[in-house]
Amino acid sequence: MNASRRTIARLVAPVLALALVAGCATPPPADDKEAVAEWEQVNDPLEPMNRAVFDFNRAADKYAIKPAAEGYRAVMPKFGRERVHNILTNLNSPLTFANDVLQGETDRAVQTFFRAMLNTTFGLGGFIDVATPAGIPPHEEDFGQTLAVWGVGEGPFLMLPIFGPSNPRDTVGLVAEMFADPFDLAMANMGKEYISYTRMGLTGLDKREGLLDTLDEIERTSLDYYASLRSLYRQHRSSEIKNGRGGGEKIPAPGLSRTSKGEELSQSAQ
Amino acid sequence: MMTRRFLLAALVGSFLGLAFTPIAAAEADPKVFVSQLAGTAMETMTAKGISDAERNQRFRTQFTTDVDLPEIGKFVLGRHWRAATPEQQQDFLKAFEEIVVLTWATRFKDYGGDLRHVVTNAATDGGGIVVESKVERDRQTPINLQWKLKKGEADLRVVDLVVEGASMAITYRNEYAAVIQANGGKIDGLLGAMRTKIAEMQSAGKGATKAN
Repeated sequence: MNASRRTIARLVAPVLALALVAGCATPPPADDKEAVAEWEQVNDPLEPMNRAVFDFNRAADKYAIKPAAEGYRAVMPKFGRERVHNILTNLNSPLTFANDVLQGETDRAVQTFFRAMLNTTFGLGGFIDVATPAGIPPHEEDFGQTLAVWGVGEGPFLMLPIFGPSNPRDTVGLVAEMFADPFDLAMANMGKEYISYTRMGLTGLDKREGLLDTLDEIERTSLDYYASLRSLYRQHRSSEIKNGRGGGEKIPAPGLSRTSKGEELSQSAQ
Repeated sequence: MMTRRFLLAALVGSFLGLAFTPIAAAEADPKVFVSQLAGTAMETMTAKGISDAERNQRFRTQFTTDVDLPEIGKFVLGRHWRAATPEQQQDFLKAFEEIVVLTWATRFKDYGGDLRHVVTNAATDGGGIVVESKVERDRQTPINLQWKLKKGEADLRVVDLVVEGASMAITYRNEYAAVIQANGGKIDGLLGAMRTKIAEMQSAGKGATKAN
């Protein structure tokens, strides 16, 4: 616990330096207990900086990323997009497998292994997902989740440029995977980095295209788009880490809280 | 027992379109309640031959009967609920109902397309009931839903919907708290933002129907 805190502190240092430029949010006065509980639960001391980055992301999305994703959807038929998605998922399987193993998820590791075997051979390099109809559904794992399983705390909420909602722990996971990807390393060895860049670009397009309707819907219905995304991301992430098994901490629901206000506030935040 | 319940669910599910009056016996089963709720909502939003005004009215009546919006609203406002005047509380609940109904009408319309909603499990959890279900999509991983139900005096009512681990009630709560904070802790600021949003969503809804 202490060690992980220290790691996080070290990771947070450069971010805090950046935050000094943009300014931190002001915490509520200590005597307002409920406001303090809310502040801790929202876990976003860098909010002014994060909101500035979010504004940048929205501009980049509006003028470049979203039009590209919409163009991709318009130009490429659904069949083609599914093939691309399958190939990208297959390319990711070495990392998914490694993370399954590192998390001690034997069953899921075996699933990932056989999926990659089947799809690479019978599925022609991942072109066709033959494993899902065969009863082995895909799942995602990343190094941020592995760190979480190992007990590393998430740290404060962080809005990354282009990459979007994150936190120091998941940022470390993201960077680590960029350097550790076996396929990219192999391409670099052969001097074919352009293949890795193509893959990166396609991954971005595939992700954004998949989120076109969802994000539009959230933006359409929310009063504060940033706050909605922050809440959704953090809740979804904590469920992903538990591989959807829930367990342990309870998510409070209206009308179900046995003890009053105090417990209501300490929701899924770790 | 398991199979009989499943058969009952399937049976009720297949007659959803015809069942205008809720069957008292079916209401008691949480799984049937959820599949009936989702089924009727999709049915209402995709039914042909009724005007949009009537469609929306039907959806609102059903949705507000099955979902305990005042209870959710109180939770969403949290500590600010107690600070609010009775008039503000009433204004908030009214605006909240409007936003939630406008939001979910569109979502059920989309779900009613080529998606299938399947109820998988029901369990009691503390003071309430949690029903798990899945929205299955073609060649994509299904979306996992959890419906939190509360047993009222007469029948079951929804108090939260958890989509892929994200609770709608908590999301609203976090979001609205941020809006109140941005308005210097004033609930009137939130109410103003909600009214603007409602007007925006209503005019967008009308625009969409005209375009179709």
